Amino acid sequence: MSTAKISVRGLKKSFGSNEVLKGMDVDIAEGEVVCVIGPSGSGKSTFLRCLNKLEDITGGTVTVNGIDLTEPKVDLNAVRQNIGMVFQHFNLFPHMSVLQNIMLAPVELKKLDKAAARAKGMELLKRVGLSEKADARPASLSGGQKQRVAIARALAMNPGIMLFDEATSALDPEMVGEVLQVIRDLAAEGMTMVVVTHEMGFAREVADRVIFMDAGVICEEGSPEAIFSNAAQPRLQEFLAKVL
Amino acid sequence: MLRLPPLRRRSGGTFAALAAFFTVVFMLLGIGGASALSVPAPAAAGTAVQHTGVEGKKFAIATDTTFAPFEFRDGSGNLVGIDMDLLNAIAKSQGFEVDIKSLGFDAALQALQSNQVAGVIAGMSITDERKKIFDFSDPYFDSGVQMAVAKNDDAIKTYADLKGKSVTAKRGSEGETFAKSIAGKYGFTVKALADSATMYDDVKAGNSVAVFDDYPVLAYGVSQNNGLKIVTEKEQGSSYGFAVNKGQNQDLLKAFDTGLAELKANGEYDLILDTYLAKTEVTEQGSFFQLVADSFPALMKGLWLTMVATVLSLAIALVLGVLFGFFKVSESKIMRGIATTYVSIFRGTPLLVQAFFFYFGLPQMTGQPINVLTAGVITLSLNAGAYMTEIVRGGIQSVDPGQLEASRSLGLSYVTSMRRVVVPQAVKIMTPSFINQFVITLKDTSLLAVIGFAELTYQGQQIYASNFRTGETLLIVAALYFIVISILTQLSNVLDRKFNK
Repeated sequence: MSTAKISVRGLKKSFGSNEVLKGMDVDIAEGEVVCVIGPSGSGKSTFLRCLNKLEDITGGTVTVNGIDLTEPKVDLNAVRQNIGMVFQHFNLFPHMSVLQNIMLAPVELKKLDKAAARAKGMELLKRVGLSEKADARPASLSGGQKQRVAIARALAMNPGIMLFDEATSALDPEMVGEVLQVIRDLAAEGMTMVVVTHEMGFAREVADRVIFMDAGVICEEGSPEAIFSNAAQPRLQEFLAKVL
Repeated sequence: MLRLPPLRRRSGGTFAALAAFFTVVFMLLGIGGASALSVPAPAAAGTAVQHTGVEGKKFAIATDTTFAPFEFRDGSGNLVGIDMDLLNAIAKSQGFEVDIKSLGFDAALQALQSNQVAGVIAGMSITDERKKIFDFSDPYFDSGVQMAVAKNDDAIKTYADLKGKSVTAKRGSEGETFAKSIAGKYGFTVKALADSATMYDDVKAGNSVAVFDDYPVLAYGVSQNNGLKIVTEKEQGSSYGFAVNKGQNQDLLKAFDTGLAELKANGEYDLILDTYLAKTEVTEQGSFFQLVADSFPALMKGLWLTMVATVLSLAIALVLGVLFGFFKVSESKIMRGIATTYVSIFRGTPLLVQAFFFYFGLPQMTGQPINVLTAGVITLSLNAGAYMTEIVRGGIQSVDPGQLEASRSLGLSYVTSMRRVVVPQAVKIMTPSFINQFVITLKDTSLLAVIGFAELTYQGQQIYASNFRTGETLLIVAALYFIVISILTQLSNVLDRKFNK
């Protein structure tokens, strides 16, 4: 009934006896940029990782492009090809060159032959401004460069959705800008994105909607304006007072 | 000493437990050893029973593997000894042929009882108990316990000189029984050791002042310059005889007696005994380098088997390690359980016990005899496989979990992710441990000596059991291991550097 790109209903996630997500309902429309903010341990990352089922889902449903990920027979690999994910610690493959990192999925999944994958990889590298690093090993890159490569890698399968899990948290401050710029560009192109971030200024700037999570539930959500300027919830006010 | 080699005792009584144990050892040794040892029983053994004469017939005769000086292998691997020479001489004089099967003492008796062979000659004491199931020839050798001391020891000449001293004897042997029976009277203590070579070394080292051992065994050792001298007369004598099944092969038995009488009459009998027992000055010990040269062929044969067992075991262990290693990191509780159980069992029990189990235990339980190489390789590969499993598990788990997540998030399957992302990184981490396991397994092959696998250590034991040069022989054996392991380690490191840059 929903036309949402991502539809989350009653999502619960427990690690053992520790319930991290306590029932979340979210709809994310095509082309929408949703930023998720909240204190450490509030469940932001876990929520994000449930969206491509990197975490097993304890209860509720997550529907992506109309496919319910909690169905036992769902082809997760096919679903994930349409969801790019960028991690806090980049998780580049250290035994491959930058270009090989990007080419791996298209070639292994037989979406592209090697030549086409190479062309695609070079195009993506150009887009993130790292064409000259194609043959470099990840270890020789700076943090900001690594994360830009990771974004290029996540884009290699032409996903309709991108998930960012604190993509700038592990970066030196002077490198945050270059990564945010790439994300900003993606937002401008109309990519559906869920961005877990501590960069409040960035969230305010690019988000169509901001979700404030606390203690495993959505505490408040709304436009950046509503969240950052007219916070109603005392917990949100408290949080913003600390981070802003 | 783990193995009781060549000069072990062969009367019942206290030795029964060990005898049962070695039954299987030597039976399997016979089956699994060199092809010359494992010829199946020919029809001749059975059919010969029906004929009156022995001329032109061929008889399968079973014997021990090593019981110097009655049967043992010379430097070139031929079975020689008093039994062998006597039997061959008798066969020649009586016009029959023999097909010698070196099975081990207990296995030889079993083969005889099951009519797989026509007779047994294995330095076997004629006892009343054995007479119930076997017919014996006339005694061809009179044994007995004697005492020997170090060659340069002039203080100990009689039992009375032993007061307050310590002597040694072979565990479970008549020598031990005799020594203990007089220990109280003469006021000395008896220390039991596992084999003759060790006992002689103990006396030469001064830990014990004297050794009680069987006359022929002692005499042979002295003739081989084992550094001892015999100082007392034979005690508790027993006689050795050639045996056939009760009521069967009587013509063969008769021919043996006739031949034996002839040999005694014409002096050939004494000649044969002197060959092995007389103290000769010609058999002075050669130089160390002579020893190296003499033992080289046998040691190379052993080294080859060591390498064969190592390579086969490691290849299988690698497969097991990869398989169970992946089980261990899998999401399935059942798979993890299987792998954990496997590792616990083989890491939680001694390799030696495993070797015994696969060699003796399993065949007894299944009734299916097992080749010594097969048993050895099964043991080593299952054991090394358990350690390999842990190496593989450790290698995979030491790869950042974010690597697998990143790969899975791209839509790559678990298998593809492992193959392209995790395993290549894990292999790099695992390589040094693999090389380490390789070295460990190579050295562990030496434990297979106890089940009679003729690898390098076993060959070394065989050599010093007959030449009594324990220290020097072990030095050569150790040097060979060291050289081979050093070379292979260097090679592995070079390959590691080349492929795991």
